[in-house]
Amino acid sequence: MLQQKSTYTDYRNNAAIQHQFSPYADNGGSVVAIAGDDFVIVGADTRLSAGFSIYTREQNKLFRLSNTTVLGCSGCWCDTLTLTKILKSRMQMYQQEHNKTMSTTACAQMLSTMLYHKRFFPYYISNVLVGLDEDGKGCVYSYDPVGHCEKRTFRASGSAGALLQPLLDNQIGQKNMLNVKEEPVTKEKALSVIKDVFISAAERDIYTGDSILINIITKDDVKVETFQLRKD
Amino acid sequence: MFLTRSEYDRGVNTFSPEGRLFQVEYAIEAIKLGSTAIGISTNQGVVLAVEKRITSNLMEPTTIEKIVEVDKHIGCAVSGLIADSRTMIERARMECQNHWFVYNENMSVESCAQAVSNLAIQFGDSDDDGAAMSRPFGVAILFAGIDEKGPQLYHMDPSGTFVQFDAKAIGSGSEGAQQSLQEVYHRSMTLDEATTSALTILKQVMEEKLNSSNVEVMTMTPDKMFQMFSKEQVEEVIQGIFHVEHPLSLNTTGQKV
Amino acid sequence: MSILTYNGGAMLAMKGENCVAIAADRRFGVQAQTLATNFEKIFEMGSHLYVGLPGLATDTQTVMEKLRFRKNIYELKENRAMSPRVFSAMVSHLLYENRFGPYFVEPVVAGLEPKTFEPFICNMDLIGCINQPKDFVVGGTASAQLYGMCEALWEPNLTPDELFETTSQALINAFDRDAVSGWGATVYIIEKDKVTIKNLKTRMD
Repeated sequence: MLQQKSTYTDYRNNAAIQHQFSPYADNGGSVVAIAGDDFVIVGADTRLSAGFSIYTREQNKLFRLSNTTVLGCSGCWCDTLTLTKILKSRMQMYQQEHNKTMSTTACAQMLSTMLYHKRFFPYYISNVLVGLDEDGKGCVYSYDPVGHCEKRTFRASGSAGALLQPLLDNQIGQKNMLNVKEEPVTKEKALSVIKDVFISAAERDIYTGDSILINIITKDDVKVETFQLRKD
Repeated sequence: MFLTRSEYDRGVNTFSPEGRLFQVEYAIEAIKLGSTAIGISTNQGVVLAVEKRITSNLMEPTTIEKIVEVDKHIGCAVSGLIADSRTMIERARMECQNHWFVYNENMSVESCAQAVSNLAIQFGDSDDDGAAMSRPFGVAILFAGIDEKGPQLYHMDPSGTFVQFDAKAIGSGSEGAQQSLQEVYHRSMTLDEATTSALTILKQVMEEKLNSSNVEVMTMTPDKMFQMFSKEQVEEVIQGIFHVEHPLSLNTTGQKV
Repeated sequence: MSILTYNGGAMLAMKGENCVAIAADRRFGVQAQTLATNFEKIFEMGSHLYVGLPGLATDTQTVMEKLRFRKNIYELKENRAMSPRVFSAMVSHLLYENRFGPYFVEPVVAGLEPKTFEPFICNMDLIGCINQPKDFVVGGTASAQLYGMCEALWEPNLTPDELFETTSQALINAFDRDAVSGWGATVYIIEKDKVTIKNLKTRMD
């Protein structure tokens, strides 16, 4: 007979003890990306957490896939590690098989198919892929965990995605604004908006904070910047 | 030591003491029995022209297909065992579609040739992939395509070796045709010139008289991509050849060449 | 899915310099289906006192009636207007009375204190836990979006005009990213001498 050990002796019963294993964890984190005519900026916070505990305050969540392509990941960190490892090897294999570096558009499509290939045991990640396309124009691709892909010019995703996306709609997309000129977003404006939205996110989202790592991608290089956020 | 040469040519996976794979070499010989095919690459595009052997007048010529579309941007001309070529074209088409599916871009001509080459050398003992081909494919292929590097022509033989060419002839008349190509080819050739040259050379090496039903012509251009010539279009080119060859006899245009 | 998100709705209140704003969307729907675009979720409870009740629409109306009843009784007995502070305590009390079978509303109270005309805002959860910050409160299904907007747009000492613009932008951009709220908005700007009510035109999808 099965006797369950319990501190609550009154609730002792003879049922079988159930053991449950969840293959997923939500390690939080937010990614924000804004594309311009000849650049794209992506920022990710550096907090890695689980529930109410913080694993580290300085985790890079941006992955350089090529000189013009960067992937930002948030969600289940172990899935992120696996996915980015496979992506890096796929990038190298493509380079060697086809004698050229994979373009951002090709990479975007490949990521979508890779995610869909795990349709019934998905990588639990919100991906944002940014880069310059064949014409040198900045582009942002965002994904759901099973490979739905959307091309946009700005995106907020991750634990504070819901908080930040309407702000980008307003500030970058100029939604609900009257009498505004349609002019391309400048690098300076994009950078300052990214910093501002992360400050807002750090106020209200406990999974976003500590600092942000920013990658500024132009045809010449990828510049890396950091910016401190509140650490509580 | 006691083996003679004839015993080495049995296995496809056994080198002879001189370091040769006879079955592969025989396969290369086999394609020299095939119908002639010519490809010329120009700055404006690539042209492929092949001879169709009409062995009986009861045969329906249009059912002989020796130029095929692999993707919008890649076409192939084949010579040798046509049945074998079907398998390889199938692979080429599959690889092109898969590349598009995964990367959302056209496969480069070189990569397509590489993919078919991988299939071409999968003869011999079967491995984990399942049953392999028991002998080398008896086909030579010309890949005509357009990718980011522009118009390109590749040639592949049964050993799986593939090389890029400006102009290449395969099949029974290839030796003579290649010689003629060498003479006529120049870098600033237009596509029309190339088409005329291809058919002129084909006409020279063919045993049958060249007409619009025993040749196939295809052009690959940046704006129209894969374009198979209709019977009328082929006829038009043939008329052109006639004029060049008989510049003084203009009145005979209506006659069959 | 919680019954709190059954009808949808977005609610927001903000403090300014000697003024407060309270704003909400006008949608009434059942899950994804929109049934009306003129549904009021904000109610006048006094000359400088407004309450917003986002959540389950039936409870919005029931709670509003109960609050009006209790407020009227208070004012008859005490023979004085109810201040926002007292009103909030009363709302909280009503909700906590139903601790184990709650009304599915997350009230937002906005107003000016009767004598001092000091701005007052607060919100509470569905069982009456009061939160009274210095800047803004949000509620409804678009609360995450509203937090993001308000956190970035709000600043101290907004004039009534600025407060109207900030509140409107925060609300509209937030509910444009929520499938079950939007379809028009109402904004109340409450000042000492006047209350301005504006119905905003927004995208209707």
